[in-house]
Amino acid sequence: MAIQYRFLLASVFVSCLVATCYGGVSFKTLQTTLAVTATHKEGVLKAGLDNITVTWALDPSAPAGADASYKTIKVKLCYAPVSQVDRGWRKTKDDLTKDKTCSHKIVAKPYIAGGAVATATWTVQRDVPTAKYFVRAYAHDAADVELAYGQTTSVDKKTNLFDIEAVTGRHVSLDIASICFSAFSVVSLFGFFFLERRKTRIAEAK
Amino acid sequence: MADINGSMSANKFDLPVDSEHKAKTLKILSFKQPHMRSFHLAWISFFTCFISTFAAAPLVPIIRDNLNLTRSDIGNAGVASVSGSIASRLIMGVICDLIAPRYGCAFLNLLTAPVVFSVAFISSAQGYIAVRFMIGFSLATFVSCQYWTSVMFTSSIIGTVNGVAGGWGDMGGGVTQLLMPFLFHMITTYGGATPFTAWRIAFFIPGWLHIIIGVMVLALGQDFPDGNLGALQKSGDVAKDKFSKVLKHAVTNYRTWVFFLLYGFSMGVELCINNVIAEYFYDRFNLKLHTAGIIAATFGMANFAARPLGGYASDVASRKFGMRGRLWVLWIVQTLGGVFCIWLGRANSLSVAIASMILFSIGAQAACGATYGIIPFVSRRSLGLISGLTGAGGNFGGGLTQLIFFSTTRFSTASGLTYMGAMAVACTIPVAVVHFPQWGSMFLPPSKKGGGCTEESYYSSEWNEEERMKGLHHGSVKFAENSRSERGSRHEIAAAVTPPGYNSTPAHVV
Repeated sequence: MAIQYRFLLASVFVSCLVATCYGGVSFKTLQTTLAVTATHKEGVLKAGLDNITVTWALDPSAPAGADASYKTIKVKLCYAPVSQVDRGWRKTKDDLTKDKTCSHKIVAKPYIAGGAVATATWTVQRDVPTAKYFVRAYAHDAADVELAYGQTTSVDKKTNLFDIEAVTGRHVSLDIASICFSAFSVVSLFGFFFLERRKTRIAEAK
Repeated sequence: MADINGSMSANKFDLPVDSEHKAKTLKILSFKQPHMRSFHLAWISFFTCFISTFAAAPLVPIIRDNLNLTRSDIGNAGVASVSGSIASRLIMGVICDLIAPRYGCAFLNLLTAPVVFSVAFISSAQGYIAVRFMIGFSLATFVSCQYWTSVMFTSSIIGTVNGVAGGWGDMGGGVTQLLMPFLFHMITTYGGATPFTAWRIAFFIPGWLHIIIGVMVLALGQDFPDGNLGALQKSGDVAKDKFSKVLKHAVTNYRTWVFFLLYGFSMGVELCINNVIAEYFYDRFNLKLHTAGIIAATFGMANFAARPLGGYASDVASRKFGMRGRLWVLWIVQTLGGVFCIWLGRANSLSVAIASMILFSIGAQAACGATYGIIPFVSRRSLGLISGLTGAGGNFGGGLTQLIFFSTTRFSTASGLTYMGAMAVACTIPVAVVHFPQWGSMFLPPSKKGGGCTEESYYSSEWNEEERMKGLHHGSVKFAENSRSERGSRHEIAAAVTPPGYNSTPAHVV
């Protein structure tokens, strides 16, 4: 036992030294060079049913040559601040490897230089939770590092937000199966109880 | 099944037994009536309840999106899942003392199944909290499990037996962290269900397990070595006791409350961790749901060996040092568990976190095993209720620590773990005040007043003159004789003879 303990402690010590911490790109350092829009139907969008059409293009006011290293555009669905309250798993962090604001991927397309507007239509997926959202597009370079972004809302993320309503996950067939098995369970319990009582009474009567 | 007459002389046992017909050895691979079959039914039924109580925990990242839960909702559901059984463990303790473990156990399993199936209907945070609360009632099978093994196995091995049964049952909390994500993965990949439906379907498996084990306990189980309770009471072998007396002797024994507190910081801490650890690894170290589940599972799975180890260490210590050895073992392992919990909270890299979590799990779970190596000796008359109260203390501690440390955004989960470890270390100190007049305590030897206290005087003191005249205390006296092993090797030699005035042979046996 002592030898195993020492080995465990030694490997723990070594792995402490080995553990590295790579910081990710800082969000604050990104430029806002993309112009992004999102169009959808009026009112609350239903997951699994409704579509969002997103467009993105290089902002005309961006400095020339800013898009030289852009290789891919990744468009994501992001939580509005009101939907992040009391939900630490959606927290906004400056380090992009730790940031959880934009957890749902909409589309990823190669970047086409020249200033043309690209579009994509996306059906809201069935695992998207009920919340308020906006859309953000990141421009990545060849090494998949974020260089710039654009979003459909303002810097404080308060304007132009839209609601999505999730699927319930419930089904009638599931409800029925649940009731059937529950009934079986209760019937077995009382069935056994009364059967045993009857057996004891019969044995007593003998 | 035992024959209805239940006559003691006619029974033959597969294992060597003592004067109470309790087995003196544990034969793990046997399923023979009555001892080993009861052992296996007891721990498996408890294991199933642990699986369903913590089945939601590894799926919380999916459930929180389906039901739009907040951190407080998740924390409250965790608290609810362990609080329900505070009451149900007490009730089960009483049921065991007055009715018997078999029906209590089966009743609970077969009535928990419908609640587990009802996850199909949950559509809000309140529904989620309510269902987790009701599933949590099933953790009372812990009491029926430990009571059942305590009446089937003798004192000198009770630490090991209770430790194995309790540990293998607690393992359910670890197995569920693997089982549920696995089921979820299968159902989404091969069943084609969407995530928000798949987690509900996954819960059907624990539901079916409850039905299967509940039926098996009723069909195959037996309450006591000599038969079922109804039959034994009719033949006069087991006396019918009164609830008010059982309650009085449990509640007025100060040791009950010390262990209520202590168990809250071994088992309580373990219950709390079962609820938070998968989510903690998922969020803090950015792991996949599957991976976080595997790591979280190793915590619960350590129960397979750690809790029996605690019980075994307790038994080994008791051979040399008697009850005092058992108390010291408990203090040492529980304090170590707390220390490693502090380390887990402070770990910043994945490998250190895993290492400290494993050491922490061994300490806390061995402490649980060591606790139940002592509980059977606190009282004979109120064994069930005291088992229940201690168990309830575990849940109370679990709910309390979850509420204080893991339901708020004021400090991180990592800090919560550190503070919880510190509190566990502090709350383990009271074990030093537990004193048995016939055996001593951590720092004091056995009491010397009146020429020394005996096991018979301690256990018979739970019955008054009138009850002793009726011979109701004979069961306790027999137990007292068998418990002399708790004196340790140094005092054993002088202890062989039953003191005068304590005739243990019941009047009606020829």
